[in-house]
Order: sequence, then C-alpha cells, then structure tokens
Amino acid sequence: MSAWLEDFKSEFYLNFIKGDKWLWLVDGLKATLKIAFFAVILGIVIGVLVAVIRSSWDQNGKKLRGGAKFIMRILNFIAKTYLTVIRGTPVVVQLMIMYYVIFASSTNAILIATMAFGINSGAYVAEIFRSGIMSVDKGQFEAGRSLGFNYIQTMWYIVIPQALKNVLPALANEFITLLKETSVAGYVTITDLTRAGDLIRGKTFSAFMPLIAVALIYLVMVVILTWLVGILERKLRTSDH
Amino acid sequence: MTTDEILIKVEDLKMDFGPVKVLKGISTQIKKGEVLVIVGASGSGKSTFLRTLNLLEEPTGGHIFFEGVDITDEKIDINLHRQKMGTVFQQFNLFPHMSILYNMTLGPIKLLKKSKAEAEAEAMELLKRVGLADRAKAYPSQLSGGQKQRVAIVRALAMHPDVMLFDEPTSALDPEMVGEVLDVMKNLAKDGMTMVVVTHEMGFAREVADRVMFICDGVIGEEGTPQEFFASPKNPRLKDFLSKVL
Repeated sequence: MSAWLEDFKSEFYLNFIKGDKWLWLVDGLKATLKIAFFAVILGIVIGVLVAVIRSSWDQNGKKLRGGAKFIMRILNFIAKTYLTVIRGTPVVVQLMIMYYVIFASSTNAILIATMAFGINSGAYVAEIFRSGIMSVDKGQFEAGRSLGFNYIQTMWYIVIPQALKNVLPALANEFITLLKETSVAGYVTITDLTRAGDLIRGKTFSAFMPLIAVALIYLVMVVILTWLVGILERKLRTSDH
Repeated sequence: MTTDEILIKVEDLKMDFGPVKVLKGISTQIKKGEVLVIVGASGSGKSTFLRTLNLLEEPTGGHIFFEGVDITDEKIDINLHRQKMGTVFQQFNLFPHMSILYNMTLGPIKLLKKSKAEAEAEAMELLKRVGLADRAKAYPSQLSGGQKQRVAIVRALAMHPDVMLFDEPTSALDPEMVGEVLDVMKNLAKDGMTMVVVTHEMGFAREVADRVMFICDGVIGEEGTPQEFFASPKNPRLKDFLSKVL
C-alpha cells in the first residue's frame, strides 16, 4: 500500500509539479472555456435565427406574397443548406477547413475555432429550437397576433419563452456535447485542455495521470453545467405549479 | 344600444381552403354597439367567418372595412387595426408563462406604450369587474376554465377595443362555468360594446343579441332579430337546426 502511495506521489510530482506542468492544464482549460463559451453564444444566435426562419416558412410561407415571399424562400433555402452541410460533415473536418482553407491567412486559432464550433453548434441548436417552436400551441401565436403584436413581437414575447422552456433539457445536452467537442481543437494548433494533457504525456511518457486529470476536469465542468441548467429549469417552472 | 354608425362592413367575403369553399360570399354590416350572434352547425363556416374579421384567416376574396378602412388591403398595417379588435378564443389562449396581471398588461405596455403603473392599475380595475382581482398574481394554470375565460375577456378589453370577437367562448367550459362567462359578456353588451359572438348558447342569443345570423354552407342562411329568428324561422335548414338545438 505504501509502495503504491509512493508511486502515486512521484507520478503526481513528475506530471504536474515538476516544471510547473499543472500550469499547462490551467492554460489549456482557459482556452477550452473561452472557445466553448463564445461558441455557445454564437450557436444560440445562429440557432434561433435559423429556427425562426425555418418554422415561419413552414407555418406561414404559403400566406406570404410578393417580395416577402421571395426573401423568405431564399432565407429558408440558405438555412436548409446550412443545416445539411453542417450536420452532414464531421466537426473536426469543418474546423480544419476553417483554419487551413477559409482563414488560411489568419493565425488567430482560438477565434477561428470559436467560429467553427459556434457555426457547428448553431445547426443543432436550430433544430432543437424549431422543435420547441412547433411544440407551442398555435393558439398562443393567434392570441398574440389578435392583440396586435406583429410576427416578431409575438415570437419574442410569447412563443420563444415557452419554446425555450420546452427545449431546455435538449439544449443542455447540446451545450455539454459542444464543451466536449472542443477537445479536437488541438488539430488546429490550439493548446486546449485535451492537448495540454497530451503534451504532458509526451513529455513524461506517463499516460495515466495527465489523461485522468483531463477527464476529471471535463467531468467537473459538465456536472457544474448540468447543475446550473437544473436551477434554470426550476426557475422557468414557476408558472406550472 | 345599436347606433347608426357602421363599424364593420363585409363585402362578398370568400374563403377557400384549397378546393374546399368554406365561405361563399358573405356580405353584412355591423353597427357600433350592436351585438351580433352567429349560429350554425359545425363546419358551416361560422368560426372561419369570425376569424376572417380580424384576418387571423386571410380571406381569398371580398373586402372587410373596419372603421372605414379596407383591412384586406395588403398595404395597411393590420397590427394597428387588430389592436382595436379584441378576440376571445374557445381555448382561452392565456399566456401560461406569465402571471394573470402580466397577461393583461403586456399589450398595453408594449403596444399602447402605457407605463407599467398605469397599465397595472387599469388591469386591476378590469379584474375587479369580473371578480378576479385576488388572482392577479396567479398563473393561468392555477385558474379554473371559467376564470381563465373571464381573464381572456378582460385581457382583450385592456387594449380598449372598439369591437369584441368571441369564437365559441363557452364551448370548452364545464357546464357549471358557462354562466359566469356569459354574465361577463352580458354586462359587456349592456355597457354598449360592439360584439360578434359565435356560440351554441341559444339562451344568450335570445336574451342579448340585437341580431342573430344563421350561417349554413358558407352563406348567410337567415338573419333577423332574436324574436323573428327563433319564433318564425323561414329557411328549412334553420328550422332543422333549431329543432336540434332548442
């Protein structure tokens, strides 16, 4: 037992303390959090926009006339193409295309990765939101319009808050996935949490400690995120009783 | 209470859902202060007619003039005119994520640009009138059907509409709650509100209506004062309908 403990101690020292290698993990964690946080925000913005375009076309496209119909038709086409391309290709490939092809001239890897993950997540958020919007009773929309609210006001004040509540668990799922998916950021020269752990492993030739540490840090982040979403869910449920 | 001023004028209103012709040309006038009750069998087009009046369903033909403006004209801003047309639905359609008070003040605050204090004071006054002032802070899910519908009525009234449209307001209620909603509507009629009511409540039609209209196969089958309408119907379809519901 004491031999095992001694072993553990020396491994711990070798992988984290010696040469302050734990700071690598801290820096990696910072990069991961930065990318994940801004990608979530970008994903929500894109997702809501695409979901509103898709569901308004599905529910009201036929009623539109003239220029509005033409514009909505094009927007809907763009949205559908976006969903097909993003959901049909792996996120690592999208990330590498963004870094090595589209923004080949830029070296701001974190920014490019944030965009790539945000654009990727937006597609999934869009479909989650669309299912939420579709799940709100049509009478809610009619009640809003009959009071004199225009389409966007009705969506904003009445439909989207209810849709959000309905899809919160699915949305939390997507955010957890996104957080963990950022672990492929190392493909485009970013030293994120995963890459930092791997760098330690390469330096110390000891795999157990750094990889388990990385796994634990992800786990703690996901647990905290789940807890926060739980609080939000309970708050939104006040109207149900 | 009916005046001579024409509030709504409907000209040859038509509505198709694909190949199905629901409204086949309806023309009528609704005067300020008039209570028009519309009856008819299910599928006759009576609800569709009501829903076209504020363009919740866009008619495929004909014109609707509201306060002199053709609201079927694409160039007008329908949202401004809808503010003046309160609507009460069969399924209440209260906003479940908002308190009763907020249900009622959302429109006045965001659309009529009233201050929160002013909108809330008015809402409380209205809630008092329907005996629900103590439920202002409750959420819709905590109310009974009859209470929900009373809130839905005052929510529409909070926008100070010039006409109230009722789409089968008591059809989704338990029988013991029908009375409380009809009472609110009767008081509204007494106060001179212009009302268009689609309903199966023949007692209400008889007692409150200035005019009763029978819609049948997408056209007006017969219309008249409640006395003529119920005592001496001429249209055979109306006779048949009345024999079933009375």
